[in-house]
Parts: sequence; structure tokens; C-alpha cells
Amino acid sequence: MKKTLEIVWIILVILTVFAYLLGYLKLIDNALVGALLFTTFIKGALVSDYFMGLKNVTMKYRLIPIIWLGVIILLIGVAYYLPV
Amino acid sequence: MSNLAALKEKYPPGDFGVWVIIYVELLTFGLFFVGYAFSRRADVELFNQSQLMLNQTSGFINTFILITSSYFVAKGVALMQTMTQENIEVANKEASRWLKFAIACGVAFLFIKGAEFYHIFGQGINLSTNKFFMFYLLLTMFHFMHVLLGTVILFNVHQRTKISAYTPENHRGFESGASYWHMVDLLWIVLFPLIYIIR
Repeated sequence: MKKTLEIVWIILVILTVFAYLLGYLKLIDNALVGALLFTTFIKGALVSDYFMGLKNVTMKYRLIPIIWLGVIILLIGVAYYLPV
Repeated sequence: MSNLAALKEKYPPGDFGVWVIIYVELLTFGLFFVGYAFSRRADVELFNQSQLMLNQTSGFINTFILITSSYFVAKGVALMQTMTQENIEVANKEASRWLKFAIACGVAFLFIKGAEFYHIFGQGINLSTNKFFMFYLLLTMFHFMHVLLGTVILFNVHQRTKISAYTPENHRGFESGASYWHMVDLLWIVLFPLIYIIR
């Protein structure tokens, strides 16, 4: 339990390296953009819940940044995948 | 379930005023992010070509720096929240040390981003070069100013920890500064893949 912040930091670093490698190795394609957006959501939710400490706050305050994140990521996904 | 709800804090950590600012900032940046994503659809080739001029490695390093600084700040907040009357000085001193690392990260971010701007402007790129660079410069410069302000706030909080100004009853100022800093991190977490990676 005491190591929660450390575990969250490690997950954030791993997901950031994943994102960077997708770009650096030019692996990014349609399917992987979805995966990248999903990992971005996870990262944002971890920062909101554990670093901001909203996990220990009543649901309405906890949900505001999560909903913001979900809507933004969803709209970015729509903009990317919607046929031109 | 109701017992669990009763254990939860009623309000987020820090002053309510800082959370109003955070919500407004999230909304403002959110509109920019969505505006970028939909503008990109109008000229995907232009956005992809322009993106090649960005340095993904510096974007990655800056993401790592902000995530790590957020971790340092969260460690400081944890000390504040577990502080007792018996260890006020020790907790403030320890938190001060974590904040020093976080401030160093903030300065490093500003330095790297400044070098990136210097490189971009050196190539004659500005807000009117094309739509990609208009969004890139607006978003990253706006964010840069938030990091600058966040670093100043952390420095101010750090100064107060040095005089053991925070107590178990009153450490809201620390939490407010920390919440603002985490928001800056949260925004960059979305900005990095959107501007630097997705193509």
C-alpha cells in the first residue's frame, strides 16, 4: 500500500515509453492510434486518481476530470477515425 | 457501500478556488485539443509533414520529467496528510526536499521546451506558417506559461515548508499548489501523443 505512488509512476513511465516508441519507430497506424488513446486515458486517470488524490474524494469530484478525459479522448478518436 | 462513501473526503484536496481554476483550464485546453483533432482532418498531409519537424525525443523527455515531478509533489502531499503534531518540522523538511526535486524538474522542462522553441523559431516558423504550427505554438506556449506559473507556485510552497508553516490542521496551501501542478501534468499527458505522435 505504501508503494502505490511508486507503482503508479512506473506504469506512467512504461506507457509513456510505449507512446514514444510508437512514434519513434514509426509504428503508428490506425489500430495503434486506438491503443495509444486508450493508454493516454489510463495515464490521465492514474494522475487524477492517485497523484491528485481524487480516488479518496466523493464520486462527483472524482468523475469530473475522468469525464473530461473520456470525452476529449473520444472526440480525438472520432476525429481520427471518421471517414473524411 | 454507504460506509465506503462515508470514508471518502467530501471535497478535493486544496482550496476550492484552485479547483475552479483547474476545471476552467481543463475546459479551455480541451477545446484546443478537439479543435486540433478536427482541423487535422481538413489537411492530414500538411499536419503529418509539419509534425516531422518536431523533436519527438524532447517531447518524450518532457513527458517523463512532468510525470516524475508529479510523483515528487504527490510524495510531498502524502507527508502533509500523514503529518502529526509531533513531527511537523520533520514532515515539512521532508516535503521541502521532494519539492526541490519537483522544482528542478519544472526548470528542466522549461529549459528543454525553450530550446525547442528556439529551434522552431530559428527555422522561421511562426503562428502564421500553417494551421499545424498555429495549434502547436498556441498549445505548447500556453502550456509553457502554466509550467512557469506552476514552478513559481511550487517554489513559494517550498519556501513555506522551510519555515515549517504547514501543520496537520492547515496544509491546504500545499495541496492547492500540488493540485495545480498535477493539472499541468495531466494536460501534457494528452498533448504529447496528440501533437507529437498521432499521425
